[in-house]
Amino acid sequence: MTGHPANGLDDTVHQRVRLGILTIAHEARRVEFSYLRSNLELSAGNLSQHLGVLENAGLVTIEKGYAGKRARTWVTLTKAGRTALAEEIAHLKLLISRVEQPGPQPDQADGT
Amino acid sequence: MTTGSAYSEDDPRRLLSSTHELAQRVRREQRATWFPLLVFAAVTFAAIPVLRYSGHHLGPCAATGPGMKVCTVYPNAQFVYWPIALVLAYVAIAAFYIHRSRARGIETRVRPYAVAGIIIAVALTGAALWVAHTAPSPGRNLIGLTGFGHGLASEIPIGLALLVLAWAERNRALLLLTLAYLAVVLSPIPLRISPAVWTVVPQLVTGGTMLLLGGIGFAPAQRPLRPPAP
Repeated sequence: MTGHPANGLDDTVHQRVRLGILTIAHEARRVEFSYLRSNLELSAGNLSQHLGVLENAGLVTIEKGYAGKRARTWVTLTKAGRTALAEEIAHLKLLISRVEQPGPQPDQADGT
Repeated sequence: MTTGSAYSEDDPRRLLSSTHELAQRVRREQRATWFPLLVFAAVTFAAIPVLRYSGHHLGPCAATGPGMKVCTVYPNAQFVYWPIALVLAYVAIAAFYIHRSRARGIETRVRPYAVAGIIIAVALTGAALWVAHTAPSPGRNLIGLTGFGHGLASEIPIGLALLVLAWAERNRALLLLTLAYLAVVLSPIPLRISPAVWTVVPQLVTGGTMLLLGGIGFAPAQRPLRPPAP
């Protein structure tokens, strides 16, 4: 990795709600829309927006179906989503370690 | 909720810790450790009458001295009961996890656990059959040999399946319980029980009780079913 770790952050993933969606999806085979909504405390419209961004980026797949008479929407993490989540976590850890490092601040070290 | 609050979007420490907490919470919500423990306890206790009253088979013998020999004796149902009971147990556990996770709106990866459990049960039953049909070594402790041959088909597959579950659920408490369980059930109990057909009982009672207590202990700590919001 070259330059400041913040340069490696992906804007699609580096967002609290979308990071939350990827984190939950990572812990399960697939997760239902209503579970995400209640755990992330979002409105349906807001969650749909974020899911749309992640789906367009190829990080999750969304499938709609029925469980009995009830309509359900399932979200599954893709391989690209798994990689993006791992990279985001690695970048965040690197950023924190840079901030916590004794000596010159990251800005100074980069000469900015 | 807005998507643009400054601190939460930009503070890496805060983002990382909230991600970690969220992952922990989701893992905790998926755990249902009490159910497999109670199923395995039931299978263990049910084995007592089955193994006791199914009759016994005399396996190969080895001479230990002039006019003396040591023979392997095992219950007739040993190699029928355990594979069938364990496979049924894994099917029940998998069905329970699938039903529970669907009701909660989060599907648990249960197939690797069930498949690993079934493979372990079948493979170790084969290994136990091989041990039972191999003549005992004259220098070997008979109780130890009996205990190992018995555990190979029963307690070891249960213990290994629980280790896989502890790994799948990232459950340290279950890992510790399983290690304690394996240590206890695989230690030969130096009891001379008469009649000899009851020899397997102390091991089964000990193992079954540990699993039962573990199941009872985990049950209140794991949250009750909470259906997803409509």
